[in-house]
Amino acid sequence: MSNDLNVREKQEVKVGAAENTSDKPIFSPMVDIWETDKGLMLVADMPGVSPEDLSLDLSDNTLTISGRVAPAPEGRKALLKEYEEGNYYRQFSLAETIDQSQITAALKDGVLKLELPRVAPAQPRKIEIKTEDDSAPAGSCPHDNG
Amino acid sequence: MSIFKFSPRGARFGVPFWELEKMRDHMDSIYNALAGSVSQIRKNYTGVFPLVNLSEDDENLYLTAELPGAVKDKLEVSVKGDTLSLKGEVRQAETEAGEEQTYHRRERESGSFRRNIDLPVKVNIDGVSAGFKNGVLTVTMPKAAEAKAHHIEIKTE
Repeated sequence: MSNDLNVREKQEVKVGAAENTSDKPIFSPMVDIWETDKGLMLVADMPGVSPEDLSLDLSDNTLTISGRVAPAPEGRKALLKEYEEGNYYRQFSLAETIDQSQITAALKDGVLKLELPRVAPAQPRKIEIKTEDDSAPAGSCPHDNG
Repeated sequence: MSIFKFSPRGARFGVPFWELEKMRDHMDSIYNALAGSVSQIRKNYTGVFPLVNLSEDDENLYLTAELPGAVKDKLEVSVKGDTLSLKGEVRQAETEAGEEQTYHRRERESGSFRRNIDLPVKVNIDGVSAGFKNGVLTVTMPKAAEAKAHHIEIKTE
């Protein structure tokens, strides 16, 4: 691999005023989403977020990723500021084919990895058809329930 | 391919608006001079990966850089004189597996980087330490004795 990395400015997002309780800006994390054999893989860059400060929320087919960065240590004077520290927030709407109960997440080195498995394809199931011949007395109508 | 390579602080040869940029620099310096103590804060955008923040306290100089997904073993931090060098690689092993994967979103990048940063004060090279936590690199550099603030007690007669 020889390609050099380029600087990408963080994308600030405006979340409802009530959401942002800190004075830090909120950024939208960069993500990769791709198809795997089992379903989808979602990878998001969230540098500065520790596993305790990450929250994943799933409701009404909406996956919300939010992360808080640790506050900067006190008593330091900034000399050069090329990037801003901020929290992260991004929402995704999930397709119905995703099995929401099977989503797994891992956070390592500021990179969140989410596995979103697809709902297992419906297993062919043979439905047994009961015949009423054995139990029902002869002459009774099967549709007449009362 | 871009015709003009982006090099704001380097050679301006061939950059169409360099006169304007020169003027802006001049205004910045006037502004900084007026602002007094904040003159040291440089908010210039270098456009070189990775972006870094530098801060200080009485004892140390701190450099931080956000490097999500950087390979820890390949991160190299070195200090020579007044220059700090950062070198490393950001890799997404899982995406390397195959380009034929079906992507729904592809915003993250992988690749290598190298950057030199001029330090504003002399540091004690032997005492430099670096840590990589939650995707953020922090380099702690103790200031050299001559760069530390020396508090002088005022005697009363």
